[in-house]
Amino acid sequence: MDFSNAYNPEQEAFAREVGAWLDQNIPQELTRPRDILLMSRQEFDMRRDFCRKLGAKGWLYPRFPKEYGGGGLSSDLAQVVQIEMVARGLSLPPIYDSGRLAAPTVMACGTEEQKERFLPPILTGESVTWQLFTEPEAGTDEANQQTNALRSERDQDHFVVNGGKIFVGGIYAPPDQFLLLTRSDLKAPRHQNLAMFLAPADLEGVTIMPLDLFPAGTFGQVCYETGDSAPGVKHSVFFEDVRIPDSYLIGGENEGWRVTTATLTVEHGDRGGEHVASSGAAYIPRNLVAARLLAQCRDNPHIRRRVEENPILQDAMVEAYIDAEIERLFYTRNTALPRAGRRAPYAGPQVSLHTKELGLKLTNLMARLLGPYAMTHDAEYGLEDRLFEVGERAGICIAPGGTPEALKIVISRALRIGR
Amino acid sequence: MNLDIRLTESETILQTAAKNFLERDIPKDDLHALHDSATGMTDALWRKIVDMGWPAVLIPEDYGGVGYPFTSAGVLFETLGAAPLPGPLFSSAVLSSLIVLETADEEQKKRLLPDMAEGGRVVTLALTEADYGWTPETIQTSAEAKGGDFVLSGLKLFTPDAETATHFLVPARTGPQGVSLFLVDREAPGLAVRQLEGYMAGRVFEVKLDRVQVPAADLIGPQDQAWPGLETAMAKASAVLSAYKVGGCRAVFDMCVEYSRVRIQFGQPIGRFQRVQDMLIQMIHEADAARWTTYEALWKLDTDRPATESIHLAKAVASEAYWQVCTLGHRAISGISYSREHPLSLHTRTSRQLYNLLGEPAHHRREIAKALLA
Repeated sequence: MDFSNAYNPEQEAFAREVGAWLDQNIPQELTRPRDILLMSRQEFDMRRDFCRKLGAKGWLYPRFPKEYGGGGLSSDLAQVVQIEMVARGLSLPPIYDSGRLAAPTVMACGTEEQKERFLPPILTGESVTWQLFTEPEAGTDEANQQTNALRSERDQDHFVVNGGKIFVGGIYAPPDQFLLLTRSDLKAPRHQNLAMFLAPADLEGVTIMPLDLFPAGTFGQVCYETGDSAPGVKHSVFFEDVRIPDSYLIGGENEGWRVTTATLTVEHGDRGGEHVASSGAAYIPRNLVAARLLAQCRDNPHIRRRVEENPILQDAMVEAYIDAEIERLFYTRNTALPRAGRRAPYAGPQVSLHTKELGLKLTNLMARLLGPYAMTHDAEYGLEDRLFEVGERAGICIAPGGTPEALKIVISRALRIGR
Repeated sequence: MNLDIRLTESETILQTAAKNFLERDIPKDDLHALHDSATGMTDALWRKIVDMGWPAVLIPEDYGGVGYPFTSAGVLFETLGAAPLPGPLFSSAVLSSLIVLETADEEQKKRLLPDMAEGGRVVTLALTEADYGWTPETIQTSAEAKGGDFVLSGLKLFTPDAETATHFLVPARTGPQGVSLFLVDREAPGLAVRQLEGYMAGRVFEVKLDRVQVPAADLIGPQDQAWPGLETAMAKASAVLSAYKVGGCRAVFDMCVEYSRVRIQFGQPIGRFQRVQDMLIQMIHEADAARWTTYEALWKLDTDRPATESIHLAKAVASEAYWQVCTLGHRAISGISYSREHPLSLHTRTSRQLYNLLGEPAHHRREIAKALLA
């Protein structure tokens, strides 16, 4: 076995090239606020421009085929781009973009013509995608779609969409397109009544409204160095007699559940295939909140005094350390599995579940270890650039990508418990 | 190639051989009898284990062993932990061999290790005392120099495998600040061994030393300075012990998943109930956490990386995991699992017996806390 995660010589050389280019091209003004709510429109636009620059290099989606606008890089070299971005405080892509779900979905379920039409704008950073799955009545029960996409009676090559989506998107609407799950048949049985579209966001009859939410980010936003790709702001999207040509239908009419499964497999953390034949360093997320929390215990004299005098707080600190280590090793295992030619379908959702539960636990451990410092982002007394205050908020928000309870169902099936 | 979780070819062979051995040579009834015995082993079985070469795994070739990497030893002990195979193999082949390697002088290594590799000499560590702990302060057993020899007196408690051992490694106090290590013959006059009672106690013993005479040649390593080497050896052995627990965790999980499919209640397999699924998901979490913390620690040992923190982590996680997995296993299987004949009972007993060996989780967590604040 080998747990080292260092660049191989080929990666080392490529990392120098990527690093030099990034250092030259990442806009100076890109501040990378730890709190996504603080990202200005100006910075968001700057990030979008930077997406295009990355896209032109093939480095926005480096693993995807060149013929569709990706980088055509080996897994080894694609990892380098991500690692070097993260080392500079940016995720890949550096904005919220469900293209990371839409692109593999099109690859898996789209026709050749659709791949040629849909993939280049995503992969080159021209279009930003929002995933539109969740509805008021379709949360964990994703298949219970109430947004209808029915064949137009007037012209058979169109669908007419009516309904509403909730808890979708990221900061700054509108995106360019939606990965939209709908109900396409009112009579067909469950799972055989759905249709998936990759449709433009500016169609007539689409209304996007921001939600007034408890100011919670998602945990990925602050927990990892990849932070800023996750949404801090969510929207509702309403459809009123929106006409979508059937050329935007992915995977065929009433085939929507099969397509959804392809998307969710990626979303639930399955890294299978992504790293096949890889031999070099891989990007393994590091839990930033846990790391910074431990640094506070060690380096902040006010916190250290509390911890040193109280063995119970020392145990809280150890708890954070142990669970963050387990998280790191699960990610490591998940990266190494496909390289070893092995599949463990439960491994993806297992680490997602652990991450979410650790998020909840960490918010409590922060309160214990940091005391009231954990709750404030006061300019004078707050700790570490709002990290902990945001971490506390983010830990509460564990629904995106599946609630822990939904993930347990996925794990249970993957392990064939009781079946 | 880095980031590789595959076993090497020789590890796969070792694993297969161990699996076949367990199936072929230790029928279920025999395994239960071993666990109920004071030795955890029979002479005949020990001879077969010696034939497999397992007492030699960590002993370098120069001393009559095969000198496998720690990861390979981990693979072997993981496989044995799945049974779980009791007996003195860990105490002698892993812990005591490593102690001799870390502390003894060259002459002593040459004298002791080949015999240990061949299984003729079975050694166990008698460290803990009434003030139970894994730090030098807890050692009160005294060793007085007398006419070139040493005289040892004191009480060692919770010593594992004392019934099968031919020799004990006994840390004793040779001065207010000095701890020295002695090799004591099981048959030495003044040494008395008594098994402690308890279904969950396992094979742990009281070892009384009443003016036991030890020749100077059996002072292992430097006088007064035994602790650093002892500590290093115990840390390395901890990682292999964790692998044994990993095997136990996975075996219990597999047992429970299988039961979740075949046990019908309310007209369906119990694994269809989410309450049961929750327990199994927790079990595989614990088992995997134990596995990957353990193998990373073993890998660090093999590649000469600083491993102390990883070992404390692995040991804290694996000990707790084995305990919790067994407890959850009983909750998932319920009724029948409380039968002494049920294979889970062996794991439950083992998870309890080994919970404190080489440091309870609280000990390792305290060490982690120290490292985090350093």
